[in-house]
Amino acid sequence: MPGGTGTGAPALRVTGLSKTFPGTRALDGVSIEVEPGHVHALLGGNGSGKSTLIKVLAGVHRGDPGGELAVGDAVVASDRTSPTWARAAGVHFVHQDPGVFPTMTVAENMAIGRGFETSRAGAIRWKALRRRTVGLLERFQIRATPDTPVGLLRPADRTMVAIARALQDQEGEHEGVLVLDEPTASLPASEVDVLLAAIRRYAVAGQTIVFVTHRLDEVIAIADRVSVLRDGRHVGTVDVAGRTESDLVEMIFGRPLDEVLPETEPAGARERALEVRGLVAGPLRGVDLVLGRGEVLGVAGLLGSGRTELLTAIFGAMPIAAGEVLLDGRPVRFASVDQAMDAGLGYIPEDRAAEAAFPEMSLRENLSAGQVRRYWRGLRHRHGAEAADARGSIAEYGIRASGDQQPFSTLSGGNQQKAVLARWLRRTPRVLLLDEPTQGVDVSARAEIYAVVRAAVERGTSVIVVTSDFEELARVCDRVVVLAGGRIVAELSGTEMAPHRMTDLAFASTDARRADEPRAADTPSEVAR
Amino acid sequence: MTTDSDEKTSGTGPAAAGTAGPAPARAGWSRVAPLLEKYGLLILFVLLFLFFANFWDRPGTFRSAANLQSVLGTYAVPGVLALAAIVPLVCGQFDLTIGSVAGLTALSTAAVLTRYEGPLWLAVLLALVIGVVIGAVNGFLVAYVGVNPFITTLGMASVITGLITLYANGATIIISDPTLTSLGSASLFGVPQILFALAAVAVVVYYLLGHTPFGRYLHAIGSNPTAARLVGLDVRRLVLASFVLSGTLAAIAGVLLVARNGNANPQVGGQILTLPALAAAFLGATAIRPGRFNVLGTLLAVFFVAFALSGLNLNDVDQWITDFFTGAALVAAVALSTLIGRRRAGAG
Repeated sequence: MPGGTGTGAPALRVTGLSKTFPGTRALDGVSIEVEPGHVHALLGGNGSGKSTLIKVLAGVHRGDPGGELAVGDAVVASDRTSPTWARAAGVHFVHQDPGVFPTMTVAENMAIGRGFETSRAGAIRWKALRRRTVGLLERFQIRATPDTPVGLLRPADRTMVAIARALQDQEGEHEGVLVLDEPTASLPASEVDVLLAAIRRYAVAGQTIVFVTHRLDEVIAIADRVSVLRDGRHVGTVDVAGRTESDLVEMIFGRPLDEVLPETEPAGARERALEVRGLVAGPLRGVDLVLGRGEVLGVAGLLGSGRTELLTAIFGAMPIAAGEVLLDGRPVRFASVDQAMDAGLGYIPEDRAAEAAFPEMSLRENLSAGQVRRYWRGLRHRHGAEAADARGSIAEYGIRASGDQQPFSTLSGGNQQKAVLARWLRRTPRVLLLDEPTQGVDVSARAEIYAVVRAAVERGTSVIVVTSDFEELARVCDRVVVLAGGRIVAELSGTEMAPHRMTDLAFASTDARRADEPRAADTPSEVAR
Repeated sequence: MTTDSDEKTSGTGPAAAGTAGPAPARAGWSRVAPLLEKYGLLILFVLLFLFFANFWDRPGTFRSAANLQSVLGTYAVPGVLALAAIVPLVCGQFDLTIGSVAGLTALSTAAVLTRYEGPLWLAVLLALVIGVVIGAVNGFLVAYVGVNPFITTLGMASVITGLITLYANGATIIISDPTLTSLGSASLFGVPQILFALAAVAVVVYYLLGHTPFGRYLHAIGSNPTAARLVGLDVRRLVLASFVLSGTLAAIAGVLLVARNGNANPQVGGQILTLPALAAAFLGATAIRPGRFNVLGTLLAVFFVAFALSGLNLNDVDQWITDFFTGAALVAAVALSTLIGRRRAGAG
């Protein structure tokens, strides 16, 4: 039933769903119905509550009491959801990272999680598995054989394998709900269309799909209806037919889309601490920016915009294909991180646990990582001096710990981040690069972290902050540039630095780029593969 | 975006666990647990020693100076090998060649002294060069080529064993160098001389791992290699260095092995020496600095096993007990320290 005429009960019904976290209300009385066989888009800015909604649906979080969720005949109170319920009700999830096993074959990927069929003797029944997989590949129109390793498939097909794996046990398409959580966010542009076409086909065959995305053009292209969340509230649900992207932006932000006019202002009279010219690296396709001395420059970019790569390329942790970086007016090219550090750069990565923390080591050792040599005098390590410095940093940066020997992994997220910040600020870097400095950090620690950054700026450090929290950028930055599609598309300062404006620019430019650039095949990410 | 809700909850869990130390309610256990964890092996060692010395010593020789000297002397070589093992372990790597390197360098030392009648310094120098070269090959393959350390060193161990067989052809080479043999079997002030060699190696490794930037860097790499790279460490070079160091220490163990035995037996070496050394390293990581490979813990582990086996052997417990006890002690100690560690980190 293409287009889903809504003959009977909705495939998914959310009624009066609220979700309160300590201190915030992530969802506030949300009621949404999804017709069977529809692609139903779910839109909303950062912090609008759409992630929370998805997580309640998945049973990761439980809602507040009083609401109700229904998938077909399966009904559950909003405070009783669980992963088991979601599975039984037929809610299937495919995320941005499709979670496939690249070195295993398509058939093996299908069987994992579901369980391998075995003979009496306990051996896998390969023939039966292959036969089943061929059926699934046909049903989902994936061009692959059961024996192809998934890693050899094109990216869109990998996601389709994940979809097929999620839906394989459904008898027909007319049951259950498939939730796609930003499935295109990490795909190259050329792959996005392949995947969108496939999603459309599945819906035409009758599959109900909830589609979470940031990209408005995708919503226009494949969704039947769209629900918009803002600040945890359901703003409205409308048919997509006949809508434009600016209509959607207006729903998301509650005001009309200002005409997108990138106003580029010179960095002002400040001395230039760091300058980047025509930087090409990874997804970056020619970035120009200027960082003034003692300035806090924000980089607003969506996931996949190249925001992290911009920092790692400057820091020498990622190879630069073209372009140049000037530090205090002199061109520099760092072959390794320690060269960048010697030149006075510091970098705090986004993923603290994976890239910045030494979890089993003490707070003291984490603070002095990268400058251990400083305590090496007269052929011995000056533990006393190191401890004294550690205690100094703990006090100066307001790190709450039982002592400088406390294992790092037992500190809270905010205190870990303060310690990582302290590690770099002790060196009084000339340029500090911060990637999502407040991720996983509570509100009060956030304020402390930015106070510390400000204090460093007073002492002459220049800072580049990258985050997807645009409100935060507006609060803490002197100036913000918007990065989209590997390029700086706008520069905002003063009163222009409104969060909604950054969002508009980041969204709109992402769409514009994809419209006017069909030669996605020669983007670096494609070449790299 | 994906963490908009997680953020709000993350503040409570780890923070609560972190400040649990001085909480009054569970003060007793929370104060005792870390001590128990740190000194558990030492306490066991003392209890075990007292047990054999006072209660179960049929021949009555456990406490005799001769037995103490014998145990201490015999386990000096395994001690040096265990110290060789911890260096790559600290930075998250494995070296399974240490026993084979000791076997090969024992053979080379004996050969230089006996077959070629070379001077002792040359024999020792050659042994060290062999250790450095094998360590460098291991380190290069692991750090720069990216071969899994387990495969690299397992393969290299087999290659070395092949070389030993090729050269020795099954024959034991007996040495007569007086300096070396007295180092191996004579005592100084009642202490076996070879124990001084172990002590010297231990001091050097302790210093390197605990009191130099190099050691700190290795710990950092072992804890989080990505973060180590992002604070400016040359991770590959340091990993290579750790293998060179373990090869060198294994070569020293080889020289000491000849000294102790008075000969180089091609059958002694390889996994017979490697596995107990690794077992001691892991056992040692449960003591003194729990969760870290450390010199004092490792030495404690070596002699804990040594005296336990001596006590059992003196009471005519069969040979099977050697392997059985070593393995059981390792598994039990690591399991226990994991449990205590988990409790320390909080209920979650």
